[in-house]
Amino acid sequence: MTDIKIEMKNIGKVFETDDVETHALKNVDIVIRAGEYVSIAGPSGCGKSTLLSLLGLLDMPSSGSYIIEGHDVSSLSLDEAARIRNEKIGFVFQSFNLIDELSVFDNIALPLQYKKELPTDEFIKARVEACLKMVEMSHRADHKPNQLSGGQQQRIAIARALVADPAILLVDEPTGNLDSKSGDTVMAVLAELNKNGTTICMVTHDARYANMANIQLKLLDGQIVKDEPLKVAV
Amino acid sequence: MRTFIRQHKQAWASLKKKPGFVLTVLMTMGITLGALLCAVTLNYLLLVEPLPYPEQERLFVAEHKLIGAKNETKAVAFTYPGLVHLYKSKEAFEQAAMLSYGGDVIISHSSQPLINAAYVTPEFHQILASPLALGRLFEASEAIDTYNPVAMLSYNTWQNEFDGSADILEQKITLSGISYRIIGVLSKDFIEPELGEIGQKTNVWMPWDYNQAGERQRESFGNISGNLKFVGLLKKGVSPSQAKQLLTPLVSNRWVEGVADTDFFKGWSIEMRVRSVKEAILGQSESIAVMLLAGVIGLVLIACANISNLFMARTAEKQRQMAIQAAIGATKTHLFKAMLAETTLLMFMSIVLALVIAQTGFYIMQQYLGAVLPRINELSLNPITFGCAVLVTIAFALFFAKLSIRMINYRALNTTLQSSGKGSGLQVSKKTRQVLIASQVALATVLVFANFSLLKDAMKTINAPIGFATENISTLVLNFSSTDFPTQEESIPIMAEVMEKLEALPQVESISQGRSPIDGFSIRALTNVADNERYTPYLKGADHRYFNMIEQPLIQGDNFTLVDRKDENNVMIVNQAFAKQLKADGDVLGLQISMGGPDPFKIVGIVKDIAIPGDTPQDQNSDAVGTGVARVYVPNGLGGQSFMLKLKPGQTVSREQLGKLLAEVDSRYSVFSFNASSDILTQSLFSEITTAVTTAILASLVFLLAGIGLYGILSYGTQLRRFELGARMAIGATRKHLVFMIIADNTKAILAGFIGSIVLFSLAYIGLSEYIQPFLSWQMVPMIVVTLVLIILVTLFACYWPLRQYINQPAIFSLRGSD
Repeated sequence: MTDIKIEMKNIGKVFETDDVETHALKNVDIVIRAGEYVSIAGPSGCGKSTLLSLLGLLDMPSSGSYIIEGHDVSSLSLDEAARIRNEKIGFVFQSFNLIDELSVFDNIALPLQYKKELPTDEFIKARVEACLKMVEMSHRADHKPNQLSGGQQQRIAIARALVADPAILLVDEPTGNLDSKSGDTVMAVLAELNKNGTTICMVTHDARYANMANIQLKLLDGQIVKDEPLKVAV
Repeated sequence: MRTFIRQHKQAWASLKKKPGFVLTVLMTMGITLGALLCAVTLNYLLLVEPLPYPEQERLFVAEHKLIGAKNETKAVAFTYPGLVHLYKSKEAFEQAAMLSYGGDVIISHSSQPLINAAYVTPEFHQILASPLALGRLFEASEAIDTYNPVAMLSYNTWQNEFDGSADILEQKITLSGISYRIIGVLSKDFIEPELGEIGQKTNVWMPWDYNQAGERQRESFGNISGNLKFVGLLKKGVSPSQAKQLLTPLVSNRWVEGVADTDFFKGWSIEMRVRSVKEAILGQSESIAVMLLAGVIGLVLIACANISNLFMARTAEKQRQMAIQAAIGATKTHLFKAMLAETTLLMFMSIVLALVIAQTGFYIMQQYLGAVLPRINELSLNPITFGCAVLVTIAFALFFAKLSIRMINYRALNTTLQSSGKGSGLQVSKKTRQVLIASQVALATVLVFANFSLLKDAMKTINAPIGFATENISTLVLNFSSTDFPTQEESIPIMAEVMEKLEALPQVESISQGRSPIDGFSIRALTNVADNERYTPYLKGADHRYFNMIEQPLIQGDNFTLVDRKDENNVMIVNQAFAKQLKADGDVLGLQISMGGPDPFKIVGIVKDIAIPGDTPQDQNSDAVGTGVARVYVPNGLGGQSFMLKLKPGQTVSREQLGKLLAEVDSRYSVFSFNASSDILTQSLFSEITTAVTTAILASLVFLLAGIGLYGILSYGTQLRRFELGARMAIGATRKHLVFMIIADNTKAILAGFIGSIVLFSLAYIGLSEYIQPFLSWQMVPMIVVTLVLIILVTLFACYWPLRQYINQPAIFSLRGSD
């Protein structure tokens, strides 16, 4: 199936301390196809963030195989993983993780500067402006992140995640640090992006937002207990 | 008081939990402050503290400056009759003394030790008010021309050579055939003024009459000697310049009269130099002491910057604890006092360690730098050291506490607990961090460059080829233990037998009569007969085997022959430097050189130049040092009592063995000295070796401290950027991207540091140009490059090392906790 963006098979993650092994994830199988909007929900400590870290190649699985757009990425070196993250994955953090010293424009342009082949200035400008437009933040391009509200910062973080045209957008508790109004705005932006074809995988503990996805995964004790498309997409 | 005790108890309990932090502060501040206390005490002793003699402000030395026809200074040394004339004149000085230094062997002692002797007029110890352990000082009965054979011992000689014998005042000692009755032992507390050389330690004091000057020297106004000294109490109201005005005509007129029949000295005169004993003792040591202090202050500043970083990290670590304190009502002053209790405890412990290190430093300096720095035996922990220690403790305790408390944003601290630990009430601003990096780089660059320059200079002297062999060569000097000196004719067969027996020793490869070049040359006034031009080159008597043994190449003409020595032929060998002084083309074979006698000497050979450390050219117009020094050699007599022995590789001969051998030939002869040339060479390079070792240690310490300091501040900066690093990694930054980013971010501060070092150098040049000027040359360029490269490497290391813990792990490690 060529439209499979992400495929995880039998993924496990074990955290080891001196004499204790903690199985954070066990036998996780996930398939995400192009254009899908997947939410991962579950109680605190069930392994949501761990799963998202593995999906985003921020961490490596202890077992199982992980394929992104047909490439096996289960055991990459740190630099290879960085390269894949840069090319294939867009990450949106709960706490935005924008760089305070850079302007909004520069924050969004950052992933392009880590490309193997550095794009031209014109391309960067056009791409950043397009992303700013997508999140309706064009008027804030020259501001610093600390001059923006939480919701605005998260929209900038989404723009940054989109700028390198990733295969999938991984979103970690996007509304966790926001008030409900800002949270709604951010979720609307994500829904709009998905409507326009962006594949999204989102971790959330908020059932209201989890329901906005067309596929809902439920995690419990490190295992997927529910994996089904919603009948009605919000 | 109770609050004070409680605060310090709490501080102690808190510090006990951080042994690594305490140890780092203790070692860094303890070692550097120890060095500071050492340097401050030394500088105070040399530059400020009065000499330990009564009326020391009136204590002056008078010196004889020999002025040439062109008004140039030829030498600074007395002639024997000139000194006696000055002493007897009693002008300008209320009380004056003469002294002369020498070496001798106590023949009457079972181990026949070689001792340092000083021959003084009674006023010497009276002026110094020398304290006694036993007996009495010299008095009128030992005045000049009384020839009363008595002696005084130093305390150490009494203890070491005579086991502190209680009946020492009933004993006699025999030196050079004269039996001296011991009349006194100087106290342990007597501090000898180092007038002869730094580290002077006289073992036996004898009356002036018995000094080692020969009959000819005692009469001659043409012979100068560096061993002759004049010291006295200036009359009240007479200034040194007035004394100079009074003494110069008195001494010069007598000297001119004395050399009237010697053409060589035509147009020459004497100028007196009168300077304080303190100045005479201090010599060039002032600059060494000041440079040492400057270097140590630099080290302390680097250490201070390092510890500042540690305190900032410590404050950041204590954020939660302080937030709780603030929440329950602690004001900023309370927090400051708590921090001050910690810094005071740490600085108190550091200063105790520093005092121990300073005391150890004094001991090391006394053991190893006694020949480089004067008055070093007077070094001890004194009120100045303790005063400095108290000041430093208070200043640093306040500084570190103030610095730490400045990091605290008290308003933000209050909200820390409310926001569940998110956000921060404390952070060192980027600007502060950049200033710290720049200052570290600037100080490290200046200190490393200064140390490298001194090290290179010292290494250049140490490694300079000397142009002759010293390997396995030792000089044996005989001692004659009778006043009934043999004539030349009598001693020739004795010395021939001595040589024969020495050569027969299985350890001996070859023998030469005379001394190694490293044992020194004399200075001789010579005249070129062809143009009457006058010269004062170094002169040495050598036998026909001398040049072969020391492997000094003869580049033109002939060597001396045995016949030259037997017949006392007036032949001379000169070195290239003197040949060029005589004739620009250096072709001087056959030239006639007068040594003042009726028959001139003919130059028969030219040898290659040699370089003896510390030798300076006698020609004041020449800049050459070592190589380029004019030297002449004449055949020595067959009755000479010095020999060079070249031993077979790996062989040794003991002083006792040689003593026995000499006793078999003639019991009146014993061993005066037997020293390896390589040992003497090492001794003559002692100052350079000390400089090399000290600067190498300082440079390494600076590197270490700079490395630790830069690591500390960059590590702190990197820690603050942990989540940013994680975010960058999450969006695809590779390790290379991040390393370059950290380097690029710090480049501005590093460049500012380099610029700062140039500013510091410029300021140092303005303030200390006379010391720095001699070092300035194009040869500094490679040193600058090496310094910059090393500092850059240290900085790059400090950039990378703290970063590696984040970039060598999955990105999630850096991001953990960011939410």
